[in-house]
Amino acid sequence: MNIIELSGVTKTFGSVVAVNNLSLSVPKGSIYGFIGPNGSGKTTTIRMIMKIMYPDHGTILINGSEHHSHRLSNIGYLPEERGMYLKMKIGELLQFHGELNSATDLQNKISFWLERFDLVDYRNKKAETLSKGMKQKLQFIATILHQPEIVILDEPFSGLDPVNADIMKDVILELQKQGATIIFSTHDMGVAEKMCDYIFMIYKGEKVLDGTLSHIQDQYGNDTIRIRSDKGASAFENMTGIEKVNDFGKLQEVRVASGVDPQLILSNLLERTRITQFEITKPSLNDIFIRIASPERKEVEHG
Amino acid sequence: MDKILTLFKREYRAAVRTKSFIISLILVPLLMGGGFLAMIIMEKNQDTDDKRVAVIDFTGFMEDPLRNAAEIRNQQEIFDPESGEQVASAYHIEFQTPDSVNRLDQQLELSRRVQSGELHAFLEIGPDVLHPSGKEGGYIRYYSEHSFNDRVRDWYRNVINSNLQQLRVAELNLDESQSADLFTWLGIEGMGLVTVDKKTGEQQEARQSNELQSFLVPYIMVLLMFMLVMMSAVPLLTAVMEEKTGKIAEVLLGTITPFQFMAGKVMGGIGISLTTAAIYVGAAIFTTRSTGFEAAIPYDVLPWFFVYTVLFIIMVGTGMAALGATCNDNKDAQSLQFPAMLPVILPLFLIMPVIQDPSGPLATTLSLIPPFTPSIMMIRLATPVTIPMWQPIVGLGGVILFTLFTVWVGARVFRTAILLQGQKPSLANLFKYAFRG
Repeated sequence: MNIIELSGVTKTFGSVVAVNNLSLSVPKGSIYGFIGPNGSGKTTTIRMIMKIMYPDHGTILINGSEHHSHRLSNIGYLPEERGMYLKMKIGELLQFHGELNSATDLQNKISFWLERFDLVDYRNKKAETLSKGMKQKLQFIATILHQPEIVILDEPFSGLDPVNADIMKDVILELQKQGATIIFSTHDMGVAEKMCDYIFMIYKGEKVLDGTLSHIQDQYGNDTIRIRSDKGASAFENMTGIEKVNDFGKLQEVRVASGVDPQLILSNLLERTRITQFEITKPSLNDIFIRIASPERKEVEHG
Repeated sequence: MDKILTLFKREYRAAVRTKSFIISLILVPLLMGGGFLAMIIMEKNQDTDDKRVAVIDFTGFMEDPLRNAAEIRNQQEIFDPESGEQVASAYHIEFQTPDSVNRLDQQLELSRRVQSGELHAFLEIGPDVLHPSGKEGGYIRYYSEHSFNDRVRDWYRNVINSNLQQLRVAELNLDESQSADLFTWLGIEGMGLVTVDKKTGEQQEARQSNELQSFLVPYIMVLLMFMLVMMSAVPLLTAVMEEKTGKIAEVLLGTITPFQFMAGKVMGGIGISLTTAAIYVGAAIFTTRSTGFEAAIPYDVLPWFFVYTVLFIIMVGTGMAALGATCNDNKDAQSLQFPAMLPVILPLFLIMPVIQDPSGPLATTLSLIPPFTPSIMMIRLATPVTIPMWQPIVGLGGVILFTLFTVWVGARVFRTAILLQGQKPSLANLFKYAFRG
């Protein structure tokens, strides 16, 4: 069952089409990743789901119905540009957000989450005393305090150190286990690959990818080779049959030209260098993203 | 409604708990009453320096009366009868022989002495002051650096004129008993109207009206209303602007509608105002009761005051919140603040004419134009003059309709503008947000 359904949604600002004829179905209980370059329409889409903005055309159904007149307490929303009342104490701030979302048993929940995110000592301190990362954790707690059915997070991991990013990742997965549906936007393709059941990519207002990771990768076929060799990227100089080399230093990711047998690349390489790893694989999400968003960018060009 | 209440509670607590609220609670009435306080202090701290005045008397007969009057004053009138302490200046007179030929030279010399501080002023009494009609010499001139509102000048005017009156009566050879009332001037006592006691049905004598009270009560009430609007509704402009630029607005808009957001903030403003008003009105009632001036409290006007004040705050508050939503930075907010406050400030310039003629066409018309109704109708209600009952009621209806209109327009502007970045709050944009969304 789909908990969120967008059909033919279009939103324009003046002459700019921010989102064009977008249809999307988010299954209940899934983690849906929104990816796309800056200014592609992710935040506008999220704001329309949140009813902060209304589409010019199309419908957005949440749990099968349109809720135009009121905000939904069963959604937790963490916007990308998130502020807070800095003069309020942490406990009071969470109490305020909890009450706005009609949360019950607030005090216990506040204690639980402050403990979980290692903020318990700050309960009676003003929000302005927190560091940027702590504020982000606080905002995340405010978003999920009322145990929402749908959690929408716009760039939740940006600015977090690995330890806190890990805690947040664990909590998101726990929420999913408890039945929540999670939508989050991210620029971190690694996170999207590892965490999301479904990935949706929007580019210049148009949907360009939508589906599971393997479904998306299947569209691109096994055209990628990961190679470790003694010579590194220089081993590929003037080699035919290669569309692009993405050099990671110790490892090179090579996109094979259409119709070329990877075995031919392997035999050509063996003549030039000693190979320690050769893996034929599907393209990574990062590679797919770059192929779509900047087709003109070429790391190493080969004629 | 629950969400509006939650937001209201936050706004109210955030404002009432601050030190600035407590300070302004004390400071604002102090500053507003500061003028009166200064007047009282000035009254108490009288100038007791000697005042020397040179007199050029062209009549030749004013020297003795002036000298005698000054002596009596210096011996009897400048000391506090109980403490014996000097409370007013002693007046000294220096008579100069009039120099008809070099009149200007003499005046220049005296002017220099005034400038040097040796003299307070100099006085010229024309030759024809006894019978001045149609004669060039019928003048008294007082030369000083500040001749306006000078008590010394008043004293000379009174002494010289009363002496001239006596001389004129003497010329008529009237009997003293006939001339006693010749110059008696009667004032007219201001009275209220005769009323019937609602409980006993007895006729009540008209009471002497208190001029100060009939001026002060409406004045204080309209200033209090102005102050309440200034402290609750006007700050919403910058508060909303800060919530927009501080990205708090979007976080909240995920949970509440723009209308709930605006309503919560305006209600917070009303709460702050009502708290302040309750403290001030309570203090006023307590003070007047304990000092025996309770009659000064217009109990029948207080409900109107609260109703009009609340509507005024909603009216101005929604406007300010909507304008705040259109601002992108402090500069935008500053440029909007003054024009937005004009409907609040303008009635202040009309306090005096409305108090003087509460039933006149200016007061009546203005009090029925909604943005001005709360303050102008308040002044009219607080004066002792009875205004037709339909007027405050029609005025209230107008204010309610106008308030609904400002809430509607304000909510539309707020909803459209709160997440928009980089759009200037121009008049054209405001119209676009309000009527096209």
